[in-house]
Amino acid sequence: MTAADLRPGVAGRSWPAGLRLVRLHLAGRQVPGALAALAGCAVLLRCALHWHWIQGSGPSAQQLPLLIESAAAMIIAVTTRSPFGEVERATGRWLPWLRLGTTLALTAAAAGMLAAGTVPAHLPGGDLALLRNVAGLVGVGLLSAAVLGGHLSWVGPVGYLGLAEVALTSARTTPWIWPACPPHDHAAALCATLAFTAGTLAITWRGARDTTHE
Amino acid sequence: MNIEISGLTRRFGRAQAVAGVDLEAGPGVFGLLGPNGAGKTSLLRMMATVIPPSSGRLRLLGRDPGSQGQRREIRRGLGYLPQTLGYYPGFTVVEFVEYFALLKEVPPARVPAAVASAVERVGLGDRAKAKLRNLSGGMLRRAGIAQAIVNEPRLLLLDEPTAGLDPEQRVTFRTLLRDLGEQATVVVSTHLVEDVGAACGRVALMEKGRIAFDGTPAELISRGVGHGTGDAPLERGYSAVLQQVRS
Repeated sequence: MTAADLRPGVAGRSWPAGLRLVRLHLAGRQVPGALAALAGCAVLLRCALHWHWIQGSGPSAQQLPLLIESAAAMIIAVTTRSPFGEVERATGRWLPWLRLGTTLALTAAAAGMLAAGTVPAHLPGGDLALLRNVAGLVGVGLLSAAVLGGHLSWVGPVGYLGLAEVALTSARTTPWIWPACPPHDHAAALCATLAFTAGTLAITWRGARDTTHE
Repeated sequence: MNIEISGLTRRFGRAQAVAGVDLEAGPGVFGLLGPNGAGKTSLLRMMATVIPPSSGRLRLLGRDPGSQGQRREIRRGLGYLPQTLGYYPGFTVVEFVEYFALLKEVPPARVPAAVASAVERVGLGDRAKAKLRNLSGGMLRRAGIAQAIVNEPRLLLLDEPTAGLDPEQRVTFRTLLRDLGEQATVVVSTHLVEDVGAACGRVALMEKGRIAFDGTPAELISRGVGHGTGDAPLERGYSAVLQQVRS
């Protein structure tokens, strides 16, 4: 094999190097699979609304949507796991930007797909609550990945989901349990935004915890 | 000097993995020997900039890895193969090596040639388009070596690089090491003393987080004359130094 033999494969069908790097990073993080799973979440939400699995508009009606939103957050958090470990961390300046781009793109995709899944039915709480809940839950998942590692990143959203479900059934509200708050609660929106920002910064800066050597 | 280390320590909780290492190394192949738990991997990980030292001074390629900007510069000139290589099974050999070439900021126009050269040098040319999931352990190790050398590093850190390679591949690999060592500083952590004897111009022996011996393979052999246990002269030197340190 020579450089000439490899040129069509490596230079990547004339793709620029930057796009090639992004493509390889997304493939390594199994983002195509994550997008398919997010689409599955949107279809599930659409089915729940279409066949009226969600009744009324009170707190109990938010339990199933919250479960689906948490699943979406877990899917995004799990993609933070690097299969390459330390070798990847010992490279240049692009890795933090790749992590940031992947996180933001997947969060936007999740919010967009789930919002599309609610059309034309009415989701209890509306799209604003959906966006707030997804962003906050993704933040919890990313923080969980930074502390526990990508493979255990689902622990945070699952724990938070438990707390939120209890808060919904008991009608207890605090801004930190934003899914139990009304859609226009500014404090709840701020808490969800803080969680998302903190999680995104942690993952961008440090990545998911690498537990290979522990 | 590409490596300048003085008084370097690293703790993990209560355990002291590296307990005050002093070391300087320029171009050449440098062997790092020692029993399990001696601190070789922790020392290598600090040199790879993936963990910070607990204390001491560490300069790599004339720069301070404690400073973010200088760490980036170091990483551009660094190649690293850890003991446990992580990989995405769906990548081909070429994709795997190319990913690291791009991450290490190899100029885009040079990437195809750099990837082809690295894959060829480790003898995986005929498996370049094979998925990593279909490779044997030895082939995966060679793919790991290819990603480490794809940016023509000035500092190459290899942790157990010959694990899983058959005798013929190890002989080829030693030739590659000697070749790389003409320009770069190559640090090879290994349990296989014959690799050290064949490829390294200098060897250090670590025990309990410290360097117990630093010299040429011939000097290590001379420490074992009339002492130590082992079938080969280097093994006798190795065991004689360890016995001396432990007594």
